Amino acid sequence: MRAKDYINGVKSGKISAIKTVKSILDEIKKINKDYNYFNNITDELALELAEKIEKNPKGRLAGLPVSIKDDICVKGVETTCSSNILRGYKPIFNATVVKKLVDEGAVIIGKTNQDAFGFGSFNINTDYKVPRNPLGKTRVTGGSSGGAAGFTALTEFPHVAIGESTGGSIAAPCSFCGVQGLTPTYGAVSRYGLIDYANSLDKIGAIGKCLDDVELVFDVIRGHDNKDSTSLNEELSNNNEVKTIGLIKETLDIDPKIKDLILKKLNELGIEYEKVSLPLTSKYSLASYYIIAMAEASTNLSKYCGMRYGQEEKLDLPYNEYFSDVRTKYFNKEAKRRIILGTFTRMAGYRDAFYLKAMKVRTLIINEYKKAFRRYDLLVSPSMPIIAPKFSEVDKLTPAENYMMDIMTVGPNLAGLPHLSLNAGVYNKMPVGIMFTGDHLNEKKLFSVGKKYGV
Amino acid sequence: MVKIGIECHLQLNTRSKIFCGCSTKQVDDPNSNVCEVCCGFPGSKPVLNKEAFEKALKIATALNCKINKKTFFSRKSYFYPDLPKNFQITQYDFPIGINGSFSGVKIKRIHLEEDPGALIHKTSYCLVDYNRSGIPLVEIVTEPDFKDPKEVREFLKKLITDLSYLDVYDKKSEFALKADLNVSTTGAKVEIKNVTGLKDIEDALSYEIERQQKDAPKSNETRGWNSDKGITFLQRVKESEDDYGYITETDLPVIEISDNLVNKIKKDVPELSEEKTSRFTLQYQLRESDAKVLSSNKKLAHLFEEVAKKVDPDIAAKWIIRDLSNQLNYHKKTLDEANVKPGDMIDLLKLFEDKKITDNTAKEVMIKIITEKNFSPLKYIETNNLIMKSDTSQIEEWCKKAIEESSDAVESYKNGNEKSLNFLVGKIMELSNKTANPDVARKILVKFIKK
Repeated sequence: MRAKDYINGVKSGKISAIKTVKSILDEIKKINKDYNYFNNITDELALELAEKIEKNPKGRLAGLPVSIKDDICVKGVETTCSSNILRGYKPIFNATVVKKLVDEGAVIIGKTNQDAFGFGSFNINTDYKVPRNPLGKTRVTGGSSGGAAGFTALTEFPHVAIGESTGGSIAAPCSFCGVQGLTPTYGAVSRYGLIDYANSLDKIGAIGKCLDDVELVFDVIRGHDNKDSTSLNEELSNNNEVKTIGLIKETLDIDPKIKDLILKKLNELGIEYEKVSLPLTSKYSLASYYIIAMAEASTNLSKYCGMRYGQEEKLDLPYNEYFSDVRTKYFNKEAKRRIILGTFTRMAGYRDAFYLKAMKVRTLIINEYKKAFRRYDLLVSPSMPIIAPKFSEVDKLTPAENYMMDIMTVGPNLAGLPHLSLNAGVYNKMPVGIMFTGDHLNEKKLFSVGKKYGV
Repeated sequence: MVKIGIECHLQLNTRSKIFCGCSTKQVDDPNSNVCEVCCGFPGSKPVLNKEAFEKALKIATALNCKINKKTFFSRKSYFYPDLPKNFQITQYDFPIGINGSFSGVKIKRIHLEEDPGALIHKTSYCLVDYNRSGIPLVEIVTEPDFKDPKEVREFLKKLITDLSYLDVYDKKSEFALKADLNVSTTGAKVEIKNVTGLKDIEDALSYEIERQQKDAPKSNETRGWNSDKGITFLQRVKESEDDYGYITETDLPVIEISDNLVNKIKKDVPELSEEKTSRFTLQYQLRESDAKVLSSNKKLAHLFEEVAKKVDPDIAAKWIIRDLSNQLNYHKKTLDEANVKPGDMIDLLKLFEDKKITDNTAKEVMIKIITEKNFSPLKYIETNNLIMKSDTSQIEEWCKKAIEESSDAVESYKNGNEKSLNFLVGKIMELSNKTANPDVARKILVKFIKK
């Protein structure tokens, strides 16, 4: 059932929010045994919110079950970013998105699994149990919002997942799990209460079984927030007319079967396109992205030192040794890798060659996109270069090969551009995602072309 | 050759902290004036306090800095328990102001940053209080232009005066002025960290210069200052420059400083002490030293100008600098605490100027202005009949009495000791309740004794 129909049912009294929420909570527990989508199921909070709605069915999301990625703060609910270092941490405040959702009647059902701090493309870097692909348990969900996308695909109840993307963490799992996900324009949705991976890149977005659900929830969570200085004051562009689409040439250099599927679908739907080349983006976005993301991440993770929240150890060492001990014990390998790489890129002597250069390249990439948008309403590419790989395949990848998975998604993320990943079909029984990218605040164009996919 | 450069941190007098809504008021209860932002809780985000930014901009303007058209914040990373995020939000690449000058000293840069919390050292452990975390600080960095500690003290004194003119700085606050001092005498650079207050800054520099001259430091080092013992002590030897791995604080957007804003701020910068001193010497014909004393305190200068509208500026300056300041010091009060009203000063000094009260009466009334509440000089003078008496027959009476009661002084005067006459005048002042015209009394005394 589409969220809209369900919400109307709740509002008219035909559907019981409490019943639905109880059922979905039961379902989560059942699914979680095999699939590990949730780090924390918030029964109590969910029922409390459902009861409130049942008594007074109000709000644009009245009674709609919503899951929250574990890097977004929910007051009083354990929020860990899937990292052991934050185990036991219960925020003292709600993220702005959570507040907006609850204010519109949404029911928070739990916190979804992810790569710890968002560090990964397969969701295998979680300190919880690794989530499994809804269409094949031997395969990954994609990451980092793996729990969000996986559960969205499997649940039989109305549900929207709140995800977050830094370099592709919404598009990747959506592509692998066959669901729809919007990564909004940077600043369109408040980051207040989002635990930072890389502040200049992080974007909260929505994942749904159908595009309608995504649009509905995006409409609730977007908007200016005084508590986030990077939150935009501008409204979305009202222009939703899509006349010209540029297919990014360099993104087609992948498994020909995936490429053919994507092109066939475009042709079937009568979506016309021209091929366009984004040479700078294709060549340099990955390097630029990883340098900036890791530099920012390495400072963001400094605060976790066993002193004020999260895990702690017995304190009988000088503070520096104590901090090192806690961080050594509770950060996983990928977090340590990114702290070390990120710290390296901003050290005196390397800062110019890496961090500052990456910032300059980022500007050039933004300009390249801006130039393309003078000609095209939207750009299109596959969401991921592959279908969801098996765990055994992922194990063989080097870290650099891992990072290569983001080749399609880092460009728009780096440029802060809104992008929508939609299911375009199935190859080898696994879903294949297509990704449309728009200019800043052009989300309406994305929805308008997305509707043609009938998802 | 001695070279001294300073980095001073001043606390801005804003109402709320630099990146959150917490108050800047000092509270006693540790960790009670904090929120998720100033404690750096995961997911919280900073929002720049506009008042803090504009005050920093005002300082940069007043210190003749080049204002950067674009400025932004950076993260300075280091691990320390009093630093909630283990990085400090400060400015690095493009601070608000650069290349300024003040009082003949070159200003390298001026930037805005957040204060960390405070460590409270106990015997076997240490506690952290984050109440101070997020207090807005302005850092002013000078070139190594100072040659001796006295210059530094004079510079800072003047800086503080001018900052109080700008209404950006609260002298009374506990941590109002903190400085890191860079001293080199023989090549190796020594930094003395965290010295609070003018006197300690001067003392630390003097000690350190002397120490270096006896025992030249072989490598760059960071030292601390022990105020109780009056010595600097080695904290660590610096093999290389500190590396704080600066990156942009992307939670805060780049700030574009428009010419309009700079012009508006410039207009808000009032006349500062140096200009005021020179204006006072020209406009009121004051001696430069007097003009300097008056200009060194915003409120004193204001009081002077108010009084000088009605009273001879010479008299106003003399009485405000000499008597009023002395008595305030003596009674350990500030001008504000004593609540000295310009009107009262005018009433008093006008009578003095018109020779309607004596110097002694004026002094007596001045003390009452400082010490008594709801005091009216005019009423007091009238009630106590303190108007100066120049009536010859009345003064002759007092003279006779004084001569009778002080035969020793009279003898001494007759023997050529002129000073004894002063004693006799004093006696007459006593007899007359300070109201006898001393000039008239003196003449009559001389006449009587010669007879």
